[in-house]
Amino acid sequence: MSSRSYLFIPGNTPSMLQNLDVFDADTVIIDFEDSVVSFDKDAARILVRNFLEKFDFTTTEIYIRINDATSEFFTEDVASTKDLNITGYVLPKALPDHILKLNNLTDKLIIPIIETPMAVLRMEDIAKLPNISGLLLGAEDLTKDLNIRRTLEATEILYTRSKLVLVSSAYNIDSIDTPWVDKDNLDGLTEDTLNAKNLGFTSKCAIHPNHIEVINTAFTPNELEVLEAKRIVKKALESTKGAFSLDGKMVDLPIIEKAKKTIEKAKKYNLL
Amino acid sequence: MTKSQPTTSKKIINSFDEFFTLIPIKINKNISFHHHLRNGDYVLNMVLDFYLKEKVQDINLFPSAIFPKYTKILDLLRNNQINNITTNYLNGPVADYITNNGLKGTLKMQTHGGRARSILEGKNNIDIAYIAAPYTDNQGNAIGYKGLNKCGSLGYAIADSEQAKIVVLVTDHITNEIVKDPEIKAENVDYIIKVDSIGDNLGIVSGTTNITTNPIGVKIAKNTSTLLNELGLIKNGFSFQSGAGGASLRVTKDVKDIMLTNNIKASFFSGGITKYHVEMLEEGLVEKLYDVQCFDIEAIDSMAKNSHHHPISASIYANPANPNRVIKDLDIVILGATEIDYDFNVNVTTDSHQNLIGGSGGHSDTASEAKVTVIVSPLIKGRIPVIKKRVTTITTLGENVDCFVTERGIAINPKRTDLIKKLEHTSLKIISIEELAKLAYSYTGIPKETKTTTNQIGVIEDRTYNIIDKLYQK
Repeated sequence: MSSRSYLFIPGNTPSMLQNLDVFDADTVIIDFEDSVVSFDKDAARILVRNFLEKFDFTTTEIYIRINDATSEFFTEDVASTKDLNITGYVLPKALPDHILKLNNLTDKLIIPIIETPMAVLRMEDIAKLPNISGLLLGAEDLTKDLNIRRTLEATEILYTRSKLVLVSSAYNIDSIDTPWVDKDNLDGLTEDTLNAKNLGFTSKCAIHPNHIEVINTAFTPNELEVLEAKRIVKKALESTKGAFSLDGKMVDLPIIEKAKKTIEKAKKYNLL
Repeated sequence: MTKSQPTTSKKIINSFDEFFTLIPIKINKNISFHHHLRNGDYVLNMVLDFYLKEKVQDINLFPSAIFPKYTKILDLLRNNQINNITTNYLNGPVADYITNNGLKGTLKMQTHGGRARSILEGKNNIDIAYIAAPYTDNQGNAIGYKGLNKCGSLGYAIADSEQAKIVVLVTDHITNEIVKDPEIKAENVDYIIKVDSIGDNLGIVSGTTNITTNPIGVKIAKNTSTLLNELGLIKNGFSFQSGAGGASLRVTKDVKDIMLTNNIKASFFSGGITKYHVEMLEEGLVEKLYDVQCFDIEAIDSMAKNSHHHPISASIYANPANPNRVIKDLDIVILGATEIDYDFNVNVTTDSHQNLIGGSGGHSDTASEAKVTVIVSPLIKGRIPVIKKRVTTITTLGENVDCFVTERGIAINPKRTDLIKKLEHTSLKIISIEELAKLAYSYTGIPKETKTTTNQIGVIEDRTYNIIDKLYQK
């Protein structure tokens, strides 16, 4: 089932690694890319390897964001970590041939970051490749490439967001929204996260641990949603018809399936 | 105790030089100060400079706390002029010096409530109380929340003013109008010395008095407020005290959020008061503030204008012998820890290498009396686990500590079976303190114990007068 939250943690910071399971992120992405300067890449690899060899994490999925497939660090990033107990890799500046290159090195899951105009155009080609578990929107790099300003309303990324949700849904993989970068503006984060949820995103990533609670809350079904889902599933079990009416609204198979997913989520997050 | 009378009818004195012609400096060697101006205080250094120059020997100091800028104490120590120091808190160069060299006599660490009690019961015999007074009338009625260098409450100085043989107000502001409802009463004041400046009240703010955004602190605060809520403690009429540290203030903020959600109003907040407590008073979330120490300018200004913001003495705050003490009605206190041990004893006096870095202040007082005492701390500080089998120094006895909240779990003192029962179905991670320690050790290994010397330099005296631990030279 989808993670609600993905938290980036620098791969070269012991104090953050040590606490990676403290912040309640469903998935942690240990970063070898932007938060690790070039002369520290090897140190990050050694640190993360030693750390993950010693500690098991049962409640937190772990991905590693390696450097992009054209960088000098790519091959060593994968080679030094592919036997570790991690769920997969997050691949920046991803394009289809980059994913094939990574698939040749490992059979672990891959989350490509959609952060270039070409990746937006080729999103479907990316999504249908083997081992893809989700698509992650990297709006900061994308808007930089497009030479446009980021805004609170985020209309500049509306097309990309919508397309990413559509493609991810079509290929039954996670759609992971871009991180909120205004660290202390939690009201803005809340609004941005609800916007993403309303567009259909399954998850959102974060670059600060303090953002996880807002994201988890937004992507967790609330009491009313759970109650309604339970009623729909109960009525579906009792009904002999494929479609029926509940509170004056028609309920058919897609709505029943959605209700079942809500209940699954509620169970996963101990709401039932 | 019979207070000596001024040898002159003139209370106001123009200088310390004149004062010491009236009062022989060399026969009044038990002297006290308050620390309400904290690191911005000028009075202590100003006064001790005379003791230094006059080469007064065998001084016994009774400052309510010692801060890094109180450097004349260091000079006196180096000159071997000080016998004993009795205080509630110390850090900085004086603390470092005593850690390494000890005293001719003894360092006695008391609590805020214990200090007030000792003075009022005649156990701390003070010859001269030098009281920095931001605003006084010409009779000696003084308050702390007005004046150029206002510092808010003068709570720690009140016992001194009532019991010292000679009480001297040191002020930079004398008003011609009578000060109403004074904290320091004219009837207790023998002399008023006018100086250019008693300090810089910007030095009151310590730098830690902002709500933390550190993710670990945020997580600990969330665990704490959830714990308090699940224990049913955040309810109409509850009372609460938290320190001025970033994590404690974050707990206060999270408690505020719960209060707003559930439309709850508290009865009082006590202890050290900050702008965050003031905001809650002004928003009608709490009825009263009982303030023994202001931690920022906003708190000081609130005291001046809000009749529900009460300055209180250290005795009214926490003296165990005072039947009207505020903290006997305290429901919840949130406190920090440098170390905590398997018996829930807490150390905030020394670090793990025996260096003096603080002291009880009101830690032990409030822990002893609050219905629920919660210690908050990261499980690992730097690379050192906060839990030890035995703390380096006991500041607060474990029998007075109920909950220990970290980012990775919460330990409840086994003696609080009532709390444990209430948390049977909680989603919070409740584990034993030994298990929490194991968790920390899995990251850090078990630190080697540092070698302690046997050269005793001081004692920890609880508010009961019991000596609960000893301090050793490093």
